[in-house]
Amino acid sequence: MLSIIAAAALPILVVTLALGGVAKLATVGREASPGALARLGPAVLMPERFARPATIACALVEFALAADLLVVGHPVARWLPVAFFAMATYVLWDLRRRRPDAGCGCFGDVSDTPVGLRSIGRAAALTAMAALVAAAGVMGLPHVTAETAPWIGGGVALLLACSPEIDGVVSRLRHRAPCEQRPMPPGRALSRLRTSGEWRAHAGSLLADEPSDMWRELCWRFFVFPAQGDAEVVFAVHLGGRRPAVRAVVVGADGQVAAPDDRGDAYLRESTPVSA
Amino acid sequence: MPYRAGERRRKLAAAVLGRDPGPAPRSREETEPFDVVSGDLLDVSPHLIILETADGEQRRLVIAPWATAWRGGTVAPADLPAGARVVVRALRGGTVAERIWADITRITGVIQEVSGRRDLTVELDCGPHRRERSIVVPYRSSGRIRVRHPKLEPGYLFDAIGLLDQGTSFAHLPATSQPPYRATAVPPPTVTYGGSEAGISGTAVWADLTDLRDLTDLAEEGITEGVAYPMLEREDTGCGDAGVSCAGLPYLALGSLLRVRNVCDGRADALPIVACGCLAGRFCDRCLECGTSPRGRIVELAACSYVALGGDLTKGCFNARVGLG
Repeated sequence: MLSIIAAAALPILVVTLALGGVAKLATVGREASPGALARLGPAVLMPERFARPATIACALVEFALAADLLVVGHPVARWLPVAFFAMATYVLWDLRRRRPDAGCGCFGDVSDTPVGLRSIGRAAALTAMAALVAAAGVMGLPHVTAETAPWIGGGVALLLACSPEIDGVVSRLRHRAPCEQRPMPPGRALSRLRTSGEWRAHAGSLLADEPSDMWRELCWRFFVFPAQGDAEVVFAVHLGGRRPAVRAVVVGADGQVAAPDDRGDAYLRESTPVSA
Repeated sequence: MPYRAGERRRKLAAAVLGRDPGPAPRSREETEPFDVVSGDLLDVSPHLIILETADGEQRRLVIAPWATAWRGGTVAPADLPAGARVVVRALRGGTVAERIWADITRITGVIQEVSGRRDLTVELDCGPHRRERSIVVPYRSSGRIRVRHPKLEPGYLFDAIGLLDQGTSFAHLPATSQPPYRATAVPPPTVTYGGSEAGISGTAVWADLTDLRDLTDLAEEGITEGVAYPMLEREDTGCGDAGVSCAGLPYLALGSLLRVRNVCDGRADALPIVACGCLAGRFCDRCLECGTSPRGRIVELAACSYVALGGDLTKGCFNARVGLG
């Protein structure tokens, strides 16, 4: 019986460790806002300049443990994940006491909700699973059989129930941040523009391939291209939605609109009142 | 360049979106801003003050009997030294001086190094535009500065109001309570999913936008009007520190017109964004002038714009509501 549960726990542990490592490395690589790392997980307990190396080290340790669970059969190596998760449980407990505002960082910046009993419970559950795996001496590639499948399902359900990240993911799926607050690289808007009909309509008259000026205001990104006859073509690309609206207008050197583009006017009248 | 381009950008954006390029008319509960005169002090007597403005024009203002002046402390207007850089809040079409601030400077930055025993010398990183600055905290004001800035250590933020005397900045008053986090660890804004509001409330502060070094076109005249705004796209502005704010602000661009309203007295004005508020976005403080503002600095106003909207330069902030155009 115990060996069946251990065989079910092994893939869960391996996947969790690998996911945690990947998410941490992705967070380090992206570093969305400066200092974001210093607010996550055990990194908050150490000086800020070590936050990045510590997160990378933690991710590497997780990869090593996942590999260890799969290939190494030595009894000492089997107990290393148990030690890791037990220590993680203690660190989370300590983090909750010392920095109640910090997230656990278990899955990088996805885990930014303050550490609660659920995160600690999850670490404890993983410790128990690792202990089972170590005690039963299971190793190698996991085999999903009719016996282990319900246990795997139960284990995953237990971990999901203990994951505060799920709440954030659900609310993100249900509501999105308003588009004026979402960062959007100019390159994406430019590629959207280049696939639009307005671009094709004006491409012949443009003198340059790259915009002479571009800026973003709320949900609109504007591109200005020099055009023939000392004029400028201004494109406005809406940043929200799957099929964004694109507007174009030719402005003469005197600042007067030379050729207004009246397509999509009705749409614009609805969307022009800005919300900032 | 960004400032001149700003007007052009507004015109082009208005043309392509089919909207009115000018600012929206003032609503009924909003009042006119004050007249502000700034420049170098040429001469002052108990009843008359003569200034030379940045464009070389001489302005003579009558000093109101109730007028007060500030230069490191409250002084009589007649005691101001000639050559001082003054900002005057004026009445009656800019002819009667009511409040005068002389040689006032705002010292906002990230602490790089602190040295000295009695008088402290603080090296500050004031953002990519204002770069590094060395200021002095005199012994007599170090007590009140330290009470509000408990961590005078590298990496933490510093914000004080001071006096510019013979090229040296002396910190006199703390402008805020120092945030407890390091400048690189700004708390993220609370995410509001779904509907957005019609305006954003928060703290409006002032800054010396006159000493921005990379706006070469404006170097001679300085920016006297306008705002610095934190939430700008980094790729467009070349400002690697922009795009950080703890107030949940929308993205705007250099040149966008912002309608800033002083919530305390209803004065409002439409001001262009002329710089990135790299440091303003890192402060998550509240303003306590006439009620507590929501968390986070939303705009940094040029000193003249700040005074025009009814702000007191020695107080560092007012509660503001900001909308577009």
